[in-house]
Amino acid sequence: MTAVTSTSASTPIAANRATRGPGWIRRAIAQLFVGLILVLLVLAVIYPLLWMVFSSFKNNSELFANPWSLPGELRWGNFERAWNAGVVRFFVNSTLVTAASIVTTTLISAWAAYGLVRVNVPFSGPITGLLLGGLMVAPTVALIPLFGLLQRLHVYDSVWALLILYTAFRIPFTTFLIRAYLIDMPREMDEAAYVDGATRTQIFWRLVLPVCRPILVSAALLQALFAWNEFAFALVFISNTENKTLPVGLMDMQSRLLTEWPVQFAGLTMAALPMIILFLIGQRQFLRGLTEGMGK
Amino acid sequence: MASTTTRLRGLVWVVPALALLGIFVYYPIVENIRLSFYSWNAFSPNPVFVGLQNYTDAAADPIFWRSLRNNIAYAVVSLICQVGFSLCLAAVLEEFVHQKLRGVLRVIYFIPAVISITVSGILFSFIYNPQFGLLNRLLGAMGLERFQHAWLGEQKTAIWSIIGMSQWQSIGYTAVLFVVAIQRIPRELYEAAKVDGAGAVRSFFSVTIPMVREMTTLLIILTVSGAFLVFNEVMVMTAGGPSDSSQVLGTWLYRNAFLADNMGYASAIATVIFVLTFAFAILQILVSRRRRVEI
Amino acid sequence: MTHRNRTTALIAVTAAGALAACGGPGTATDKTSAAPQLTASATTKEGTLSIITKFADPKYAPYFEKVATAYQSANPGVKVDLQQVGDQPFKDKIRVLSASKQLPDIYFSWAGDFANKFVRAGLAADLTSVIGPDTDWGKTFSPAALKAFQYDGKSYGVPINLDAKYMAYNTAIFDKVGVTKPATLEDLLSTCGTLKAAGYTPIAFGNQYGWPAIHFMTQLNAMDVPEATRSTDYNPATGAFTDGGYAKALEQFKQINDACFESGSNGLSHETAQANFLSGKAAMHFLESVEFSGLTEKGGAPADLANNWDFFRLPPAGDAAGDKGALTGAPDGFMVNSASKNAALAVDFLKFMTSKENGATMTKDIGWLSSVQGTATAENSFPQLETALKDISSANSFAIWLDTVTNAEVANAYLSGVQGILDGSQTPADVMKGVQSAAEKAKKSVG
Repeated sequence: MTAVTSTSASTPIAANRATRGPGWIRRAIAQLFVGLILVLLVLAVIYPLLWMVFSSFKNNSELFANPWSLPGELRWGNFERAWNAGVVRFFVNSTLVTAASIVTTTLISAWAAYGLVRVNVPFSGPITGLLLGGLMVAPTVALIPLFGLLQRLHVYDSVWALLILYTAFRIPFTTFLIRAYLIDMPREMDEAAYVDGATRTQIFWRLVLPVCRPILVSAALLQALFAWNEFAFALVFISNTENKTLPVGLMDMQSRLLTEWPVQFAGLTMAALPMIILFLIGQRQFLRGLTEGMGK
Repeated sequence: MASTTTRLRGLVWVVPALALLGIFVYYPIVENIRLSFYSWNAFSPNPVFVGLQNYTDAAADPIFWRSLRNNIAYAVVSLICQVGFSLCLAAVLEEFVHQKLRGVLRVIYFIPAVISITVSGILFSFIYNPQFGLLNRLLGAMGLERFQHAWLGEQKTAIWSIIGMSQWQSIGYTAVLFVVAIQRIPRELYEAAKVDGAGAVRSFFSVTIPMVREMTTLLIILTVSGAFLVFNEVMVMTAGGPSDSSQVLGTWLYRNAFLADNMGYASAIATVIFVLTFAFAILQILVSRRRRVEI
Repeated sequence: MTHRNRTTALIAVTAAGALAACGGPGTATDKTSAAPQLTASATTKEGTLSIITKFADPKYAPYFEKVATAYQSANPGVKVDLQQVGDQPFKDKIRVLSASKQLPDIYFSWAGDFANKFVRAGLAADLTSVIGPDTDWGKTFSPAALKAFQYDGKSYGVPINLDAKYMAYNTAIFDKVGVTKPATLEDLLSTCGTLKAAGYTPIAFGNQYGWPAIHFMTQLNAMDVPEATRSTDYNPATGAFTDGGYAKALEQFKQINDACFESGSNGLSHETAQANFLSGKAAMHFLESVEFSGLTEKGGAPADLANNWDFFRLPPAGDAAGDKGALTGAPDGFMVNSASKNAALAVDFLKFMTSKENGATMTKDIGWLSSVQGTATAENSFPQLETALKDISSANSFAIWLDTVTNAEVANAYLSGVQGILDGSQTPADVMKGVQSAAEKAKKSVG
């Protein structure tokens, strides 16, 4: 079973190696070296983020004069300006599109994966090939042709455009994940239900989806990471500031708040902090969910 | 054999996925190839058929090759850091670090991955700011003034600065995935290696690396294809400048389509990206299929 | 296997069908639509107007919001949907909108080939009947401003301001160091040397997006290359750029860079450089007259600078072969979407925006010179602005920004080439080669 904790005996750094045996100096130096690197990495991760938060309370001259220091006073006004520049709106738009695309992608992919693995679908070979072949297509490649298409469908400049695209382009990967998981699932379970008279659809909703939870969670989290960061489509297909998602909105904000650096920092902080806090709260579930399904 | 209607009904399962893929993924590919044979833009009254001209233009375009080289540089560095270094980091975490500390470090290292790439991009463009940015100030504080640069403003350093930011963002992410893979390695293998007299480094090479092969393959695919598709970071930090020195295929495509009024050419670049990622994916499939047969 | 062959055939057929079914790119629009109705006949105005501007800068945005709100109050049946984007993002945004046929009713445009593109594509409404030089409305504008938006003898754009590029200088620093306003380019270079020796940055310059350098090139090209040659070259259909003056201009820019700029200017934004000028670290700064308000106390500049600055035109070299009296500048303007269903309403709104009253408000609120004559007075403007107006009115000819007067390929070749000059990776000869081949390409795509 996939457990997040290791099965090896927990060891403080090198405790299971004798501290006095031959070559202990070399080992101690190695430990020191490794420890140093680990600490440096921690600093490399944390310091830029701390700097971001501190700078958002400063004003321009303080920022230029003393980038390291803690801010002189807490200028909440910067946050208010960033708020007014629309950061919250962008955040909300991103959340909506991400959440919606998680639902649509996971459902449609699971639906297709189940069909391919359990149901006798005609042409299943080529169809599988087609579905998975989409893995090789890059979103950037589709940019220009999608223009005319989205516009003809009257969804240009609406979150629907992003929803459709985020779903369509992730179906191959998600189907691939779920299909791999399903293949390993024993047939007897749903064959038994089928014999008992349940329809395939009922089996899907009541039996398969719940059993697939680990992989569905993994897929959902990966989808979230993708949709949250997606930039090219959001840049080209959303034009009204009201509808922009976070990545594009932040760039927009940057080009408007040209030299108001602290306000930009405030905007960045407001955009990053919720995600970090959410992650810290749910990190065990997140990391487990991300990896459990992928272990197969 | 079920009746034809039952069999056809089976299609219901795959129709939604196929429809979405067909319309929004496959159709654009085909259309894109077709568009690459024309010269046109947002303002052209009549698109002009130019055959392979856009492709010959690309072959003769130094910036096209510059972009390709930048993508390759991206891929190489990402492989070294996000696969090579991450694996070492994961191994170190699993082998040397105390259990409780391990969890904390894992979480800390992973944090950059949950921040939007745009946020990191803008944050790092501030870190790289020649006047008040962290990096130059840090170098100054250490007495290394002569290493100070306008990181994003100089041709020699721009793309590397962006690549650096990308590693910051993703090393923790791949390290965590490797940790999971390492945890699945049966302890007996390590015991056996120790009995044979292998030290930490030897067992890393003889046990760890072979046993995480699947995860390694997956991450290689993700990293390399990600490197060829990169767009967000570059767009946010330099938009391809200065002097087009940090262009990657994705941004060069965008620039030609939406700033240089040259969409046919952009479509040609898009087709090249498609062919490259397609070829790489096929290669990976062939390699992994062969490997699976071996095991 | 027959299975696979059948499927392959299916895919092939679908693909072929897709290819056949689509028309060529861009055939969906009918470019020969009838000219829109421009004069409103109804007494009550109603509808929704969509506008896009490039004035998201918090210094300027409020003015446009004010005008939009005022118009809505005066015409309750009308809703104005104002979208303001930043200067740099506007450049790709407008193309995305054009390509997707989503152009708003009213859209901002720079003068020159940038505007002419829209005209050639049939996206700009012909406004000659309402704003031509002989119409009532047309007569309220400064003739040069109106001319900037004419193409083939017809008027397509509504100019809203007058703008020219000047070198502002800190008079206190100049006095302290003992230098005076340079009259020639050679003088400027030696002034820079003196200033540098005294510990100042001679000219504050940041070229992050490339256009600040282009503005220098606009002035240098104008002074080194005769006007007739320039108009031929700037026209994409006939551009060649073979005159020796162009390379000379680049050479002069290189000299200015070496003597007057700090290194690393490609990584600095124009606004950051301006901050250096405001704080007194730099002695000079090349900027547009629409930015003058930022150098006043009202605009937030420190008193030391606000009370001690003046400006001059970038001086020509002693042996300049072009138009020594040319001034870099162009009006900003708006165009009307020819496919707009509210063209008459749009025209009415633009008339409102360019009324004498609103023109005066523009000068008072954000310090821009309006293109409407007689709007700048001693009350609503400051001394330097008045001087600028006089200077602009007396200019021989205007040199429109090099990156909007030429077509996009040539503009891009110049933009990236000049960045190369700044960091020393390209020589003037390299850049001219790039420009010449871009001009060749442009000829093919336009002709």
